[in-house]
Amino acid sequence: MKKFYIAFTMFVVLGLLLSACGGTATADNKLEEILARGTLIVSTDPAYPPQSELVEGGARAENTKCASDQHTSSELTGFDIDVALAIAEKLGVEACFVTPDWTLITGGNWANRWDISIGSMTITPERMSKLYFTQPYYTTPAAFYVYTDNTTYTDPAELAGKKIGACTGCTYDAYLAGTLQIPGETFDYVVANPDFVGYETDLNALQDLALGDGVRLDAVLTAQPTGAGVIADGFPLKQLGEPVYFEYLAGAIDIASTPDPAPFVQKITEVLLELHEDGTLLQLSQQYYGLDLTTAAGLFDWEMLDQFK
Amino acid sequence: MAVDSLNFPAKPPADPNLDMGLALVAQQRKERLIQTVKIGVVWVGLIIFLIALLLQFNFDPAYVFAHYRFVLEGMLITIGISMASIAAATVLALLGALGRLSHNPIAQGVSGFYVSLVRGTPLLIQIYIIYLGLPQIGSTLNSMGYSEIGRLFTLTAVQSGILALSLNYGAYMTEIFRAGIQSIGHGQREAAESIGMSRWQIMRRVILPQAVRVIIPDIGNQFIAMQKDSAQVSVMGIWEMTYRANRFARQDSKFMEMFVVAAAFYWLLTIVSSWLEGMLERRMAHAYER
Repeated sequence: MKKFYIAFTMFVVLGLLLSACGGTATADNKLEEILARGTLIVSTDPAYPPQSELVEGGARAENTKCASDQHTSSELTGFDIDVALAIAEKLGVEACFVTPDWTLITGGNWANRWDISIGSMTITPERMSKLYFTQPYYTTPAAFYVYTDNTTYTDPAELAGKKIGACTGCTYDAYLAGTLQIPGETFDYVVANPDFVGYETDLNALQDLALGDGVRLDAVLTAQPTGAGVIADGFPLKQLGEPVYFEYLAGAIDIASTPDPAPFVQKITEVLLELHEDGTLLQLSQQYYGLDLTTAAGLFDWEMLDQFK
Repeated sequence: MAVDSLNFPAKPPADPNLDMGLALVAQQRKERLIQTVKIGVVWVGLIIFLIALLLQFNFDPAYVFAHYRFVLEGMLITIGISMASIAAATVLALLGALGRLSHNPIAQGVSGFYVSLVRGTPLLIQIYIIYLGLPQIGSTLNSMGYSEIGRLFTLTAVQSGILALSLNYGAYMTEIFRAGIQSIGHGQREAAESIGMSRWQIMRRVILPQAVRVIIPDIGNQFIAMQKDSAQVSVMGIWEMTYRANRFARQDSKFMEMFVVAAAFYWLLTIVSSWLEGMLERRMAHAYER
């Protein structure tokens, strides 16, 4: 009986101790808290190369300020990771990474587990109800892909009524449904009545399309860099026509963050504009994509989002 | 001459019955060995067939050998989360079973409700609710001025995973514990009562030591199931084996290769755990061996 009580008490105390490891800093706003802490906790889902991917044999950096359940920059690589490192450098803090599922990032209510998402997130009105967006750091063209041997389709408009795969809940899903809204853009929904097939990620859709023309899918709508990436990996696919629209991709910060995140959002926007101006972002874009995907993002009118009402 | 006949000779005369018995045992042992070898051959055949099948799907074995280590690095996390969860689940299951068997309506109600609710909902949804929902209770408490208590509700990914797995498996194991406790004859309880033992003493000294023997194989079974279910905590971004296999595979679109690597490691892990569980089971059965 006694032993049992002791074991049980130890179990409870251990649980409480583990839970109490959260931050205890008190600051007036999020930016001050981050500067005082000396780390910027960035969320990224390493499911989307070349934006973010895992490093094989990437050991945790020594002498890091990152908490034990966070990862250091040596364990991850990609365009998003380098952008996060550039931001952290401007702030004078260390970048630490956490890797929750994408749906957990876009859903908001992060419970202050991480400070910012540098995850190529498209600015949409639905997301703006849960997240503050920073100045976009680049754009992504969205394009249709079909099986390489297909000769029937020459233009995306001919995909009307066909089975088209895309990730569920992402902007491609909304575009196919004709409900996509991106502040500052008007859309031309070129495909009438698509037979939408939802996937957990774009790559699953591309894999199904690679099984053969019309086997499971007739086409996939995805980001041009993603499509070009799998084709380079040997997928038997080709791009159909020109990109159908462009997305602005920005950093995101939880509206429910405490303390007040507004000065932090403002500061990150300033930092990103500096990185656009000094050519850091353009250089990274050239390095990872061989294209200029950033200049248009630097010209985006962030004030127009009018987020602090 | 009667005394002489009492002196045992150095070598006892051959006992035809004993010889026959020994021959029979040797025969049985040989047959068992042959049977084991035959089963082994079938296993090897099936493994070869499986590998041949895999090679048909555009499978790249060289990729597996080049990158399996990356998945292997997640095994310690898988083992750690499973061990912590099975330990907590065992405590929960014991409490749950005692509740279900108690005469107290509150204890019975709470444990019955717990088993019904947790067994009736998917683990993945429980993980999401614990990870996303608890912090919101915490922030409500925060705004009410109990910030110290409120902070405890924001669990990290690993803590959330262990809590979800323990709660989930605790519910299943409550039923296992209950059945194990009930399998001990009622006569023993009455006998223990008659010599003046309290209810707790009966449970601690008579019922549980015997029930544990019945329960151990089932706990082992649950532990094996948990090792594989722990893959679901990867949604919170814990770098265990499934997460590593899945995320790494995306770089080169080598999903089959990395998933097969992860599957092989899970399989290996469960083979080792079922062997350990078998040893534990045999140890527990010592008292019952003839």
